[in-house]
Amino acid sequence: MKKTVDVSIPLGPVHPCWKEPVRIKCETAGERVLRTEVELGYMKKGIERIMRGRPWQEVMFLAERVCGICSVIHNMVFIEAMEEISEIAVPPRAAYLRVIVNELDRMASHILANFSYCYTIEHETLAMYLLNTRETVLDNLERLTGSRINTAYMIPGGVRFDLLPEDAAAMLADLSKVEDEMRRYTGMFETGPLIALRSKGIGVMDREEAIRAHTVGPTARASGVVCDLRLRHPTYRELGFTQVTRTEGDNFARIMVRFQEVFQSIDLIRKCIETLPDGPIRGGGLCRAGETSYAGEAPRGELTYSIKTDEYGRVVDIAIRTPSIMNIEACAHSMIRDVTSIADVTSTFISSDPCIACNER
Amino acid sequence: MSILQEIKNAVRSRSIHVAYVDVGSCNGCDIEVLACLAPRYDIEQYGIYVHNNPREADVLLVIGSVTPQWVDKLRDIWEKIPEPKAAVAIGNCPISGCVYARRGTLTTPPVENYIPIAAQVPGCPPRPTEILSAILSVAPLIYKDYEEKHR
Amino acid sequence: MTGYLYEKDLRQMKYNILTSTKHDEAVRAIARRLGMSNAKLRMVMIRRFDMSLLENLESRWQMGQQHADDDSDPVAKDLGCELFTRFVPLVDPRVMQTICNETRAMTGNESSRDEAIARGKARIREAILS
Ligand code: SF4
Repeated sequence: MKKTVDVSIPLGPVHPCWKEPVRIKCETAGERVLRTEVELGYMKKGIERIMRGRPWQEVMFLAERVCGICSVIHNMVFIEAMEEISEIAVPPRAAYLRVIVNELDRMASHILANFSYCYTIEHETLAMYLLNTRETVLDNLERLTGSRINTAYMIPGGVRFDLLPEDAAAMLADLSKVEDEMRRYTGMFETGPLIALRSKGIGVMDREEAIRAHTVGPTARASGVVCDLRLRHPTYRELGFTQVTRTEGDNFARIMVRFQEVFQSIDLIRKCIETLPDGPIRGGGLCRAGETSYAGEAPRGELTYSIKTDEYGRVVDIAIRTPSIMNIEACAHSMIRDVTSIADVTSTFISSDPCIACNER
Repeated sequence: MSILQEIKNAVRSRSIHVAYVDVGSCNGCDIEVLACLAPRYDIEQYGIYVHNNPREADVLLVIGSVTPQWVDKLRDIWEKIPEPKAAVAIGNCPISGCVYARRGTLTTPPVENYIPIAAQVPGCPPRPTEILSAILSVAPLIYKDYEEKHR
Repeated sequence: MTGYLYEKDLRQMKYNILTSTKHDEAVRAIARRLGMSNAKLRMVMIRRFDMSLLENLESRWQMGQQHADDDSDPVAKDLGCELFTRFVPLVDPRVMQTICNETRAMTGNESSRDEAIARGKARIREAILS
C-alpha cells in the first residue's frame, strides 16, 4: 500500500495482548491513527486445499480444526451442509442436543472474548473471574461430549452421546452458578467508571459502515444491524429465539452484546433440557453427491460452507467463509481508523473478537 | 557447588517466565495455554509467569505447525530469548504437523527443523494440567547448575 | 527512518489468497464488469490492497452488488461509482467523482449515451492501472 505519512507504528506479530499472531501497521499523525494495514499470513495453513478430494469422514475432523475456539459450530455447519446435500433427517432429540452443545460452546467463546478485552484494558481481576467461569462451562461441555475443545460430537444423522438425566441435573446446577457469577461480572463491567472511560465512545462503527463491510455477529449487532442466522434455524425457532441488538456501535456495546448473549444461551440450554424429546439420538443415512451453500451462526457471526461432493461422499470443492474475515477487515479499516490514541488500537482490535485462525484458514 | 550456584538454583526454580508463540495452529492449543492462567489451575503458585515477551522469557511454548511467514521469524524469536532457555512444543502440531501435514498444505512441520525443542506435549489439544506439568518438569533440567555446566 | 522492521515479500501469500475458489470467482466477476483481464486486475489488487481486504473481497463484492448505487442515478450505477470507491476501493473517490461528473455532462450533450459510458469505463480502467 502507498504511504501517506511518516510515522508508522507496527504492532505484532508477537504482542502481549494478542493471543494469535497478526501484524497491524498503523500510520499515525501524533497519536491519531490515520490508516492501518493488516499483514496476515502467520496462520495460513491452506486448510481448504487439504480438504479437497478427501472423504467427509476426514473433512469432518479437519473442519473442526479450522478454529479451536468455535470448533463445535464448524462441525455443526459442515455436518448440516452434508445432511442437506444427502437429505438425511435428524431425530428431534439429536437436534436439541446439538443446540445444547452449540450454546455451551458459544458461552465459552463469548466469555473468552470478554476475558481478552478485560485483559487488554488491564482489568485483570475481572478477566481472571471470567476465565474461571469459562472453566465451569468447559466442564459441562466435557461432561456431555467427552472433550474440552475439539469435540467431534455431531455426525450426519445425529450425535454421538446421549445426555443422561443425572448429567442434565448437574448441568442445570452448574448453569445457575454460571448465571449468578455472570450477572455479577456484567454489573461490574457495566458500572465500572474506569472501564467506561476506556470503552465508551471508542472505536465507533456506524450502521452504514457495518453493512458495507458485511460485518456479522455481535460486532454487527452492536451497531444495530439485524443479522442472526439462529432466527432462521428450525430448532432455534421452536425454542423461541430472539436476538440482542444495541445501537451505540462502540467497544462497550460490543462487549455488552456478548454478555447479554451468554444469558440468552443459558436460557436456551435450560429450555432445551426441559423440553428434551425422547427417542433415538442417531439415525442412519448415506452421504451423496450434490452441491450446497449452508450458513450457520457461529459465536462470531455468520459462517458459510460451500461444498460440492461426489457420489462416494468425497468433498470435491469447498470454500469456507468465516465471520472473522469480515469482522477483522471492518475493524482494521473503519473502527481503528481515527481512534485518538495508539493505546486504544489494541483494545479496539480485541473488542471485535478477532480470530486469526478462522480468518486465514 | 558454589553457594552462588545454589542460590541461583533456588531462585530459578520459583521463577519461570513463559512466552508463547503461535506459529500456525488451530487455536485449540492456544486457548488451553490461556486456560492455565485461570485461577483453577493457578499457574502462578508455581512461580510461572506468562507474558508474551520473548526478551525476558525462560521457556518458549511453541504452538502450531510452521506457516510461510514463520519460517525465518521463528529463529529470530528464539535468538532474542536470553540464555538459559528452553522450548516446549505444545500439541501434535509442532511435533508432526497434526492434521495439516497432508498433500496441498502450506505448512512445513516439524518445528524441530527450526529451533531445538527440549520437551514435547502431545495431544490435540493437551489438557492444561499436562502443559503445566511439562513446564514444571522441563525447567529444572535446563536451569539446574546451569553456570557450572557451561563454564 | 520510514521502513518497517522484519518486512517480507507478501506477493506469493496474497496470490494464494486470491486464487481460492470463491475469491477467484469474485476477481473474475470484477474483471468482467470492468472489462479488464483477470491477471492485470489481480496484479493491481496485490499491489494496492492489504491482506485482510483481499480476504474480504468476496463479501464486499457481494454487498456492493446488493447495496451500492441505487437507481436514482443511472450513470453512476453503470459506472459503479460507489461500488469501486467504497465497497471495492480500487479508485480514489475524488478521481471517480470527476469521471462521473464528466460522463454525466457528456450524456447530456449530443453524443450518444452508450459511447459516453464506454469512455467513462475506459477512464476508470486507466485510473485503476495508473
Ligand atoms: S495440536 Fe490439535 S488442537 Fe493443537 S493446534 Fe494443532 S490441531 Fe489445534
